Amino acid sequence: MIWQQLVNGISVGSIYALMATGYALIYSLLGFSNWAHGDIGMIGAYIGFFSLATFNLPVWLALIVAVAGAGLVSVISERLAYRRIRNNNSPTMFLMIAAMGVSITLQNFVLVTVGSKFKTYPQILPVKAISVGGIYIGMLDLISFSVSLLVILFLYFLIERTKFGLAVKAAASDMQVASLLGINVDKYIGLVFLLAGSLAGVSGVLLGMKYTVYPQLGNFALKAFIASVFGGLGSVPGAIVGALFIGIMEVFVAGYVSAGLRDLFTFTLLIAVLVIRPTGLFGKDIQDKA
Amino acid sequence: MRKSKLVSLMLVIIILAMSLTACGKKASDDVIKIGYVGALSGETAVWGQAGLNGMLLTAKEINEAGGILGKQVEVVGLDGRGDPTDSVNAFRRLATEENVIAVIGTNFSSCNIAMAPIADQLEVPLIATAASNPKVTVDEDGNLHPYSFRIGFIDPFQGQVLANLASAELDAKTAGIIYDIGSDYSTGLSQYFEEQFVANGGEVVAKVEGHSGDNDFRSQLSVIAEANPDVILVPWIYKDVALIANQARELGITAPLLGGDGWDSPELLSMAGEAIEGSFYTSQPSFANPVTKPYADAYMAEYNNLVPETEALFGHDGLYWIKDALERAGEATKPALREALENTTQFDGLMGSMSVDPKTHNPAKPASVYTFVDGERLWFGDYK
Repeated sequence: MIWQQLVNGISVGSIYALMATGYALIYSLLGFSNWAHGDIGMIGAYIGFFSLATFNLPVWLALIVAVAGAGLVSVISERLAYRRIRNNNSPTMFLMIAAMGVSITLQNFVLVTVGSKFKTYPQILPVKAISVGGIYIGMLDLISFSVSLLVILFLYFLIERTKFGLAVKAAASDMQVASLLGINVDKYIGLVFLLAGSLAGVSGVLLGMKYTVYPQLGNFALKAFIASVFGGLGSVPGAIVGALFIGIMEVFVAGYVSAGLRDLFTFTLLIAVLVIRPTGLFGKDIQDKA
Repeated sequence: MRKSKLVSLMLVIIILAMSLTACGKKASDDVIKIGYVGALSGETAVWGQAGLNGMLLTAKEINEAGGILGKQVEVVGLDGRGDPTDSVNAFRRLATEENVIAVIGTNFSSCNIAMAPIADQLEVPLIATAASNPKVTVDEDGNLHPYSFRIGFIDPFQGQVLANLASAELDAKTAGIIYDIGSDYSTGLSQYFEEQFVANGGEVVAKVEGHSGDNDFRSQLSVIAEANPDVILVPWIYKDVALIANQARELGITAPLLGGDGWDSPELLSMAGEAIEGSFYTSQPSFANPVTKPYADAYMAEYNNLVPETEALFGHDGLYWIKDALERAGEATKPALREALENTTQFDGLMGSMSVDPKTHNPAKPASVYTFVDGERLWFGDYK
């Protein structure tokens, strides 16, 4: 059973990882935790649902529409809610509060327009599992794990091997100097929001396919946030390791200790990290941990 | 001068009006008024309106057959909006202004828990429909509300029916349970299931917990999968049931799932699909039982092909139960009706045969069991 639980944990963790990398990207650049990140994923899940269920698009196209849609909403949220605050040189606290506002706005927008009813994705894949030596691996898990892996590899390539990555890293280390050196910081911040929003969209669609879609779906991102704190806020590899660790830990606590105590363990870990090692596993910067 | 003329005119009108209402009161001696409180507006109006429709239709049927004790039946429905305060107000008005002999409603435990003490105080019998909390008929300290009754069964009963179904019909020797630690309904049902299942000689081999709102139950289900029970109790609401069913099948669990009336939604089939095939759940007897066909047809003929909700059956059985009790009592007074309702040993309605426990006012009656075959919900039978 240990192996089965490990598989369960990795499958939960890989979706946390997609979410956590988005947190890490935005944190590394702007130094604040984007509380609306999970809700952008929720919007992606709804766009995917309607593309499939109402407009009968093929799966690949629905995925693209959902991911692009979530990315777009993310960019718009940056334009409307964060850019002005940033240009005013206001404290990062203001950005966090604005993000909470965006989160509530998005949730209520969906509540009013779509309603609070739970939606289920049309069954694209039959409920099937591959059995490997007595361990059941769900088809959907296999797919979501591979998608997560591909997306994360792509992200790594983007940041480490392209001019875009270099510019983002430069802006992250010192925005003013980067802008003096001719980097259009606003443009790159917009692009990072597009990227983070798209990642949230991917995880939203995967979550929607695996479970159900509802306006509070974005709340699961709290776990992804803890993962990114654990891994070291602002560090993309840290977020991935942290997410997998939390996914596996949750599954083992629920399976061997008690599901009721699962969140207790997760949040205790958060407090322990903040008290004992505020930089997390791979973090660099100890100042204003949000 | 003018003013005093106006005043005297008004006085005349008032006196006239009073004498008219007095006349009205006299005439009402030949009529038995029965009240209904339900949500006639708002989100849950679909149930309240069905209950009232059912009662109006049934009253017509009773009147055509000669009424109760030779008197005509008149049904008065008031809107309780599914809200405890509004329901108490509606009940008060029915009792004090409309002078009803009894009130039927509501299907919400919260409303009936609020109305029960008022019913005792005004001494008007109140019959709850689907409200399933034990506290509808007994207060916090376990004392009986003498004027509160119910037609539906209570939560613990479903657990017993499910355990008996598992032992007798499905030949289950071992059971797994996954329950919601945040819900009284779920923990209660699990507890009563377990007690009865163990009493039947079965063994609960795995009992795991979860939280409504968790979307992933696979780590708990893996524990159940390893214990490999014959049946699995899933006392959750349909949305969680759909997730649990899909994830259980994904982990290779093939045992039938069992559940209570939280499963009772057409959404379950569309959300869970094949994963729910071959599973069973208990609920209040409904129109799925063929006995109810003539009544359902009459209902649809009366109300422009409106498909009746189960609440209409409660309205029907409630009214016939009052008729049965009044005829046994031989007089149409509230205390006599109360006595007769309390001492019901057998009343046969469309929802099955029931008797009343005088100590708790809970009915002993069958629960309906439903199953899923080929993507459709089927009525499996009624069980006690």
